[in-house]
Amino acid sequence: MGAGTMGRMVLLRLALTIPILLGVSVVAFMLMRALPGDFAQAAAGTTSISAEALDTIRRQLGIDRPLWEQYLAWLSGALVGDLGRSFVTKRPVAADLLPRFLVTAQLTAMAGVIAFVLGSATGLASARLRGSADWLVRGLNSLLLAVPNFVVATLIVLLFGLYFPSVGIFNYTPFMQDPLANLTSLLLPALSLGLTVSVTISENTRAAVLEVSSQDYVMVARAKGLPRRAILLHYLVRNALTPVITVAGLQLAALLGGSILIETIFTIPGMGQYLFDSVTTRDYPAIQAIVLVAATVVLLMNVAVDIAYARVDARVSYE
Amino acid sequence: MNDAAPRPGARGRLLLTIGLVMLAVLVAVMVLGPSLAPYSPSRTTPDSLAGPTAQHWLGTDSIGRDLLSRLIVGGRSTLLITFASVALALCAGLVLGLASGYLGGRVDLVVMRLLDVIFAFPVFLLAIAVVAALGPTVPNLILTIAIVYTPTLARVVRAPVLSVKRWDHVEAARSVGVREFDIATRHVLPLVVSPIIVQTSLTLANTIFTVTALSFLGLGPPPPDPNWGSMLAEARQFMELAPLTVIGPAIAIVFASLTFIVLANGLREALDVGSR
Repeated sequence: MGAGTMGRMVLLRLALTIPILLGVSVVAFMLMRALPGDFAQAAAGTTSISAEALDTIRRQLGIDRPLWEQYLAWLSGALVGDLGRSFVTKRPVAADLLPRFLVTAQLTAMAGVIAFVLGSATGLASARLRGSADWLVRGLNSLLLAVPNFVVATLIVLLFGLYFPSVGIFNYTPFMQDPLANLTSLLLPALSLGLTVSVTISENTRAAVLEVSSQDYVMVARAKGLPRRAILLHYLVRNALTPVITVAGLQLAALLGGSILIETIFTIPGMGQYLFDSVTTRDYPAIQAIVLVAATVVLLMNVAVDIAYARVDARVSYE
Repeated sequence: MNDAAPRPGARGRLLLTIGLVMLAVLVAVMVLGPSLAPYSPSRTTPDSLAGPTAQHWLGTDSIGRDLLSRLIVGGRSTLLITFASVALALCAGLVLGLASGYLGGRVDLVVMRLLDVIFAFPVFLLAIAVVAALGPTVPNLILTIAIVYTPTLARVVRAPVLSVKRWDHVEAARSVGVREFDIATRHVLPLVVSPIIVQTSLTLANTIFTVTALSFLGLGPPPPDPNWGSMLAEARQFMELAPLTVIGPAIAIVFASLTFIVLANGLREALDVGSR
């Protein structure tokens, strides 16, 4: 594929995402405006407040204006990074959100790596060894799939809290403070988050390797006596990676959703914990912002996946 | 290949049988619920946070309520919410997927783009935001979970409809004047049920996760009604004093989702739905 077509494809794919992004922003906005009860009262944070004071808050927040005007004001702010002010801290939401977003990004990335390594290793083993190894891996996968990440996390907390209290599991350390301690403090949370996702990767890898193994070119390679390892590396791994990449967008969504539970359990100051706290304190601008940011990240990931897919597989085109 | 795999179908039947037996256990707990429980789930005793004893097989919680009774009664609420929300999502998914795939054109475009919007949100994150907006009551939970799982089901309905609607028997039915609605529901739908059944079973497993996770975070049915998720959260709080209380709800949650995963795998092989 030439550079020109590639550039066009990227633009086209991004253009197709814009209407969905707009829809996402409408949902994020309306979700918090459809509330039963008074938005201004929630902003004030108390029910014992005079009518005049409520009117002042309404004017300050601009919620005396028509809904579409409010939406446009919110959206144009969001486009330049202004996500409104928190009802609780009264600080700009964007400033509160950014450091937490980075923590979640790191946790998600670590969980993704763990899931990928575990998933492709077990999937490959399952497909190549067949027989009892296959049964073992698939059985374990079914079981793992049935254990939700918050149950895994609770059991890990139980195990380490009771029997290995020397391993501090609630000692989240910021990366800037001590990179090594930061990585070790996120290891167990990332493992509990990544386990379920590794099952999907494992099953996909297994299916893809089995399918590729029966393709003509692999048969030819085997017939002409190429060593097994060479076939594995040259044909199987590369071709089997494609379906794994395809589900990356969905998996990222699963990881982001799961991070809410994992961060709450392990007390990690990420975006998930921020969402949970905001829901508890009814901090609606923060909820809106988190929902918008998470959906945007997932959408952009899907665009990246499609582009990567088209680069790997020449049969895919978006014309 | 050199593997001695059992006859195709045998594995599917085995999984299906195991899955159905597990489902029967769940349904029995759901239907019989309170009458199976040895005590009232809200009866308190001075014997709090006790380990398993002859009177209290799973021990007691922080205010001395019998955990086995709470697990059984809590199972009823967890499973009722699960079944109700998936039934709702399935209805919505069938209508939207069938309309979208069968009618095509502008309907398809609008429906699929709307579903793309919902699909863009991480499921659990959207669920939390919607429950936060609506308030955590049982009807709101059912509605929320139905909303987040409708796009997946609608897509699974739509995809095979796209090809089946071009088959000859559909053309034949149309040529003899069968109404479009009847063609869609009687001549297309029956041919696409297999993937829908498998996906429904998987959605049930996912819903068990979502329901219990929401109530784990305190966004489930309001207390004092027991629920597996809130029981696990409570057990975690008192873990140092009574570590064994974590086990009951954890096993119940895993058992329920395993039921639907085993069922889905069995159905997939029995109905010969291509595993992705």
